[in-house]
Parts: sequence; C-alpha cells; structure tokens
Amino acid sequence: MSCARIWTATLLCAWSAAALPAPAYAADLDVQVRGADGAPVRDAVVSVHLAARATPHPHAGGSYVIDQQDIQFHPFVAAVPVGASVTFMNHDPVRHHVYSFSPAKKFELKLASKQQNQSVLFDKPGIVPLGCNIHDRMIAYLDVVDTPWAKTADANGHVVLRDIPAGAITITVWHPYLRAPGNIVSRGAILSEGTAHGEKFAVPMRTPPHDPGTGY
Amino acid sequence: MRLRHLFGFRQLRTRLAVLYAGLFAVGMLCVAGLLYAVVAHNSKAQVTRELVANGTVYDRLWDQQTSQLRAAAGLLARDFGFRAAVATHDRNTIESALSNLRQRMGLSTAFIVDVNGTVTGLADPRETAQASALSTQLDEGVTAGVAPLGGQAHKIVAAPIMAPALTGWVVFATELDQHEMRGLERLSAIPLSAAVYERRANGSWVGADSATEAPDPAVSHFLEANWHQSQPADIDGPNGLSIALAKPLPAVPGAPPAVLLLQYPMRLALSPYRPLEIAIAVIGIFGLGLVVLATWRMARSITLPISLLDAAAGKLADGQVASVPVSSQDELGRLAATFNRMSADIVEREKRITHLAFSDLLTSLPNRANFNQHLDHQLRLVERRGGHVALLCMDLDNFKAINDTLGHPTGDELLRRIASRLGEELGDIFVARLGGDEFVMVKSYSGDTGTIDELARRALAAVEAPIHIGEHALESKASIGVAIAPADGNNQNTLLRSAELALYKAKEAGRGTYRFFEESMNALAQERRALEVDLRQALNNGELDLHYQPLFHLSADRVGGFEALLRWNHPKRGSIPPVEFIPVAEETGLIVQIGAWVIQEACRQAALWPDHIRVAVNVSSIQFQRPGLSHVVLQALQNSGLKPERLEIEITESIFLERSESTLQLLHTLRGLGVRIALDDFGTGYSSLSYLQSFPFDKIKIDRSFVVALRSRPGAAAIVKAIIDLADALGMETTAEGVEEQSQLAILTRQGATSIQGYLFSKPVPAPDATRLLKSKLKLRAA
Repeated sequence: MSCARIWTATLLCAWSAAALPAPAYAADLDVQVRGADGAPVRDAVVSVHLAARATPHPHAGGSYVIDQQDIQFHPFVAAVPVGASVTFMNHDPVRHHVYSFSPAKKFELKLASKQQNQSVLFDKPGIVPLGCNIHDRMIAYLDVVDTPWAKTADANGHVVLRDIPAGAITITVWHPYLRAPGNIVSRGAILSEGTAHGEKFAVPMRTPPHDPGTGY
Repeated sequence: MRLRHLFGFRQLRTRLAVLYAGLFAVGMLCVAGLLYAVVAHNSKAQVTRELVANGTVYDRLWDQQTSQLRAAAGLLARDFGFRAAVATHDRNTIESALSNLRQRMGLSTAFIVDVNGTVTGLADPRETAQASALSTQLDEGVTAGVAPLGGQAHKIVAAPIMAPALTGWVVFATELDQHEMRGLERLSAIPLSAAVYERRANGSWVGADSATEAPDPAVSHFLEANWHQSQPADIDGPNGLSIALAKPLPAVPGAPPAVLLLQYPMRLALSPYRPLEIAIAVIGIFGLGLVVLATWRMARSITLPISLLDAAAGKLADGQVASVPVSSQDELGRLAATFNRMSADIVEREKRITHLAFSDLLTSLPNRANFNQHLDHQLRLVERRGGHVALLCMDLDNFKAINDTLGHPTGDELLRRIASRLGEELGDIFVARLGGDEFVMVKSYSGDTGTIDELARRALAAVEAPIHIGEHALESKASIGVAIAPADGNNQNTLLRSAELALYKAKEAGRGTYRFFEESMNALAQERRALEVDLRQALNNGELDLHYQPLFHLSADRVGGFEALLRWNHPKRGSIPPVEFIPVAEETGLIVQIGAWVIQEACRQAALWPDHIRVAVNVSSIQFQRPGLSHVVLQALQNSGLKPERLEIEITESIFLERSESTLQLLHTLRGLGVRIALDDFGTGYSSLSYLQSFPFDKIKIDRSFVVALRSRPGAAAIVKAIIDLADALGMETTAEGVEEQSQLAILTRQGATSIQGYLFSKPVPAPDATRLLKSKLKLRAA
C-alpha cells in the first residue's frame, strides 16, 4: 500500500511541475468527495473545465508510470493528460498481458517478468480500463483528461486543485464504482479571484467487486 | 318407538343372530378402520418423506445445473477474444460465439446484456425487452433464478463480463419444461408427478410451461396457501386425495414467483395395501357368515325348546291339554318340567271346577246345570235322529218328616245313600239331583215305553229297600212322574213341567208309585193357573164367602159352635170347592190375605151369635210361617168384640213340620190371648203323640176316616175310644168329624166324644141359615 502511494506521488509531482507557472489571477478549488453513506471516496478523479472559455490544453511532457507488482496494478486510478506516454513496469516474477479495449485507447502489452520499458501513448481523452489477460483480478483505470486541472482524491476523498482562473467552471467527479451514467457526476461553480473555493460531493457508490488487492 | 319396531323380531333366534352378527360386524369394522388408519398414516408418512426427499433432490439438481451453467457462462465471459468482441461491440463475433455455445451446451437461449441494458443474441423484441430489464437485477448481483422470457418461465444463470471492468453479462436461460419435470419424476422412488407453476400478479396460478395445464382449483388453492413454505400437505382434488409439496424456486427479484409442485395421489400410495384390504374384507365377510351360521345354530338349540313351550302355552291358552318333552337338565329343562306340572295342575283344577259346577256336592250326582245340559243335548239328538227321551222326576214322599224328626245329618245321609243306590241299580242311566229330595233320570230309547216302566219300577224299588243309618232303619217311598220327549214336550222346560205334573198325579194317586204324563194333566195345570189368576181377584170382588157347619155339643145337647168353611162363588164357574183352590192359595201365598179375611169375617159373624156359640177357623201352616198371625187374630177380636175364648183356631199337624219351636211359641202367644187351639184331622199323617205332650190343645178333632171306619172296620171303634180317652186324660175336648149316620153317633156318644160334626146334623150353611139354625133350636134326629 505504501508502495502504491509512493508511485502515485511520483506521477503527480511530475505532472504538476509541467503545468507551472500559474497565472496571478487564479483561485484554488478544494473538493471533498464522500459516498452516500458519508464515507470518503478515495481514488475519485476530480477534474475542472472552464465554462464559457476554452480550457487550456494540458502539458503532457511528464513521465507517467503504471507498475505491476504483486499481481496488481499501481495506482488503481490515475489521471493523465492527453498525449501522455505511460510506461508499464512489471516488478513481478510472472508475465503480464496488459490490455485495454477502451475506445480512448486500445492496446496490448505482453510484459515479460521484470520487464520495465514498455510505453503506451494516450492521445485521446477518456477512461481507459486496464486489465491483465492472465490475471483476472488485476484492474486499474486511467482517466485521460483534456484539462490541466485534474487529480485523484487521497485516502480522505480530498482533492485540492490550484491556480484555476476565476469565473465559471465545471467540476467533474469520476470513479469506476460511482453509480451514474459514465460513472460521472458533474457540477458547475464560480471561482472568485484569490480565494479558495470549497465543494463537497456526495456520490452514490456501487459495491465494488470483491478484490482484496484494491482495498475496497 | 320406530327403532324398537324395527328390531321387534318375531323370533328370538333372528334377534340373537342379528345381534351377534352386528357385534361381529362392528368389531371387524373397527379392526378394518384401525388398519386403514394405520396404513393410511404410514403411507402418508412414507409419501411425505419421499416428497421431501425429492424436493431435496430437486434442489441439488437445480444447484448442480446452476453451477454448470454458471461455469460455462463464466468461461465464456472470461475468454479474451469474446471479451474483446463485447468491448468493441463486435456483434457478429458475439452472436457466433453465443450460437457456438448454445450448440455445445444444448441450451435453448444464451445472450448478452451490457451494463446499459443493451441485449445481444436475442431476436424476439419481447424477449429482448425482458432481457434488458434483467440488467438491473444482474447489476445488483443476482446471477441465477427464475424469470419470464417470452411468456415462459426460464431458469436464468448469468456470468459477468469483465473487460476488465464490468461491461455486461453472459446469460444462459433454460426452459422449465415438461421434459425436465419428467426427468425429475423418473429420479423419484415413487411415481410422483412434478410441475412448475407461476403465480400471476392477481394471485392466480398458471403452468410455467405452455405444455403444463393450468392447475385445477384445489391445486390452485393449495399453491396459494402453501407457496411460501416447503411443507407437505394434503390436496383434496377431483382425482381424490393427494399429498403435495410446493417448493418455491429462487426467482429473479421482480419476476413472478414460481414453485415446483410435487404431487403424489394417496390412491397410488395405498394401492400396495389393496390386497391386504381385500383380504380383510374377505375374512370379515367369511367370519360374518360363520358367526351368523353359528349363532343361528346355537340360537336354534336354545330357542327350539322355547318355541315348543310357546306352542304348548298357546295350546294351553286355547284350553287344550299340552305338554312339552323334557330334554335337558338345565333351566330350559326345568322350565319345561314346571310347565308340564302347571299344565297338569290346570287340567286337574279345570276338572274339579267342572265337577263342582256340574255336580251336586252332597251326593256327587250331576246337578241341575249338568242335568240341563244333558237333557238339552239328548233333546237335540232326538230332534236330529228321532227316538225318545224319557224324563223321570222322582220325589221322596216322606223326606221332610225324616229330616225333621231325625235331623238334617240323617236326612243328608239318606239322600247320599239313595243317590248311590240309584247309581248302582240303574247302571248307566243319567241320574241327577235337582235339590232337596228331588231326583231326575234321563233315558234315551226307541221302541215302546216298557223299558221306562221297568226303569221307574227299578228306581222305586231302589228307594224302598230299607236303609240303615246309625240305629235307624229307614223305609222311604218315592213318587215318580214320567214325561216322554218329544210327545210331552220338545224342550227342557215343557218336558220338566210335564214330568212334574205327572209327579203330582203320582203323589195324588197315593204315593210310592209312578205316573206317565197325560195331556189331561196339562189341561188341569192350565186350569189351576187360571184359578190362581181369578183367586187374586176373588177377595176384592167379594166372591169369597164363609159357610158354617155346626158342632153339636153332645152333653149340652145343643149347638156349641160353628166351623167356618171358605166358599168361592166364581162368577163364571160357579161354586169352586176348597180342595181345588186352597192348595192354589197356599202355593201362591194368597192364603195369608184370605186367611186374615176369614178370621175377621168369622169373628164378626160369631159376635152376632149368642155367647155360648164358638166359631172355629182353619189356619194354614203357611199362615203360621208368615209373621202377623197373632196381630190379625187380636185385630179381629178387637174389631168384632168377640170374647177370645169363643174363637177356636184349628191347626193340623203339618204346622209342626216346619219350625216347630217358633210354631209352639206362636201357639202359646195365641193361647195367651185367650184363644182356643184345636188339633184338626188327628190320626192321619205322621200323628205323633209327642205333639200332644208338647202343647196343651183345647180340643182334638178325630179325623173323619176313623168315623167312617166305625161302620166297617171292627178295630176302628177301639182307636176312636183310645183317642177320646187320651184326650180326656189330657183334659182336652174331642170333636168327631164326618158323622153321617145314627150308628156312628151312638158309638161316639157312648164313648164320650165332646161334640160331633157332620151331615147327620147339618152340612155347612151360609151365615143367615146358621143363625136360623140356632133359633130353631134343632135337636138331633137321634135325640
């Protein structure tokens, strides 16, 4: 578990650095995602698009890694910008056959044991479920976003997005188990300059398939 | 009442047979009922167990099939190529894969529903819609159950397609059809029937399969009541009782509930016991027959003697002699013996009663009733067959005197002896005693009356032979009157009257003889009856009159008195002699009235005469027997003013024949009044000197027979002298009656008679003539 967090942090740091510097008139967004029962929803992807304005294209220059360790993908959910190239690294002593049938990106990677150099370019926005054809229980999601402001919620279901231009925005929450069409809940908001805007989401959640690897 | 009537058997043996057969039948029914209950209970328990077991088997089968299908679906859902096809919506590939699977698994239906409800693999729009609706349930985790698909219940098994996230489900559906149910039925150890029913929203039940018929109302009712619980229960359907188990099948939520109904008819459950039931029925009927037969036979041995007794009692009731054979030593035997004894006693008593009713207690001869019957019978025989019946009435001539003088015991003994002697002498002649000294004999005969003459003579001879009773040697005489039927009467009464008339004649003829009835006797009797009728009128009509015959006092040489003599001047027949009408008056009791009138009249007349003239009045023994004579005399004396000593009451010895004590008392009473008492007709009949001793008569009247005999019989004078001397010695006067000749007068005068009476002096004359006679101072011609 601690391992998963390390790798996520690495991925996010790389992405945030690419988005800098932020404009002076920006504002911060603080989003708290909870389930209908009040429990925090971790791994929810919170993204922001600007309303009535063009959302700027995200910078995809960072390096993004999805690890396979202990017959599991790490992280479970990741948000990556369009155009990002994601490297799949197999740390297991067994082979993996990573695939996705998603419309956003269809691919297959046959990874030999300890092979760490396979990369895939995600050039279309959308959800890309990742599976392993050898190990059914292995599953992970990539949310390929076309906005610079997107982030997965921490263990407390908490996300802070910074330096968003003030004005009207659309906040989108996605989670693979969210019970809604497309697993998405969206909401509009107005950001004021120089302030920290807080939003709370309470979303209906589906019972996750039993899989001890994901912690759900 | 009706019940009692129903069981009111005429015969004891029927009753016994029915009773025992009934008891046996009830017993057998109880056994059969118990057996049936046990068998039914056991069969039911067995069937119930079997049903439950089959339900469990079906559960296993269901689970097994579910897991098989699930495994197959899962296999498909995890196939990479298939998943790729589903994820990329490669419809052709998907359908070919499903078709391939259907063939391999022998499935009727296989399709795919994705998370958005899109269905692939079904052609029918209705089925597609139903399948699409399933996605909600599938999304909630239901992966197996019963759900409708195209109007028919299907068993549905689903497996999720993970690509890698959940994208849809592979769904396999199999029909719950007859084929599967038959398979289940074959698995069972007992021939049960299985069917799946579906519950409609309105509570009605239909077959889950188009080939399964709609359940009948009893089954529907059962399903409605039991579909929640898997408990066996009874169904009372049109085909008889069944045991059923309704097993709810796991339905997809929202789909109509479906149940598996396992049924087993009790008829089939009980059929193995059918031979046992038949055997019991046969044994029961056979046993019943045996019981009836045995009871019938046993009842016969009991009831036969009772029937015999019944019949014998009936005979006895009808007055016949009856007895039953005594065949055993038990109660029935004793009853029969007792019955025989009772029967014999009854016969014996009847004989005694008959004997008492028809026999004379004193003599044991037939009595009057018996005689009536016998005579009646004989008369009827004669009427039919001809011939004659002779009726002989016999009367003892002197019985009264014997009874009086020697006492009743002697009289009774005499009658007994005479009766037995008649029986001995007359052999088979019917002899009866009618009462007193009256006997009758009845003899049927044909031919002349000679035999009857002989019979009468034998009867008289039998009576006349001396009979020794104690120290007395009694010589009785009897008179017999004979009447012959049909000539002298063709019925009892007439014949008896004729015989009695003949008997009177015989008595008149001097007793100790017999007379045949003659028609003239009957005429006399009729005349006598006419006389009786007239006599009743005579007193009132003044037809009676008194004549007076003077009594000439010899020493005083003048008339000393008159004897009043009754005369009857009949308006048609003229003067009727007393000898004719006095007996009639005595028989009818008229003599009492007439006698009273005579006393009154005589006293009245005598009062008109000089003081020395007495009047003598004859008083009948009947008058002595009736009360009031002394009163009559006193009344007459008072009315007339006649001095009592001028009235002389003349009695005959016959008054002593009855009640001599009271007679003597009455005589003393009369004497107390001062009236003189004279003993009339002395020397005839049973004259006993004891009378003279018992009462001090004032006068003795010497019977005319002695006076008449003075002329012819030499000894007569001696008797007359003896009487006169005797009277003198006792201080009594004497009057000689019937003096008609001077020679008689001479003798009587010489011998010292006090007075004389007779035609020599005067015949009886009417009162005026008597008065004239006194005035003429007539002297005796002899004087």
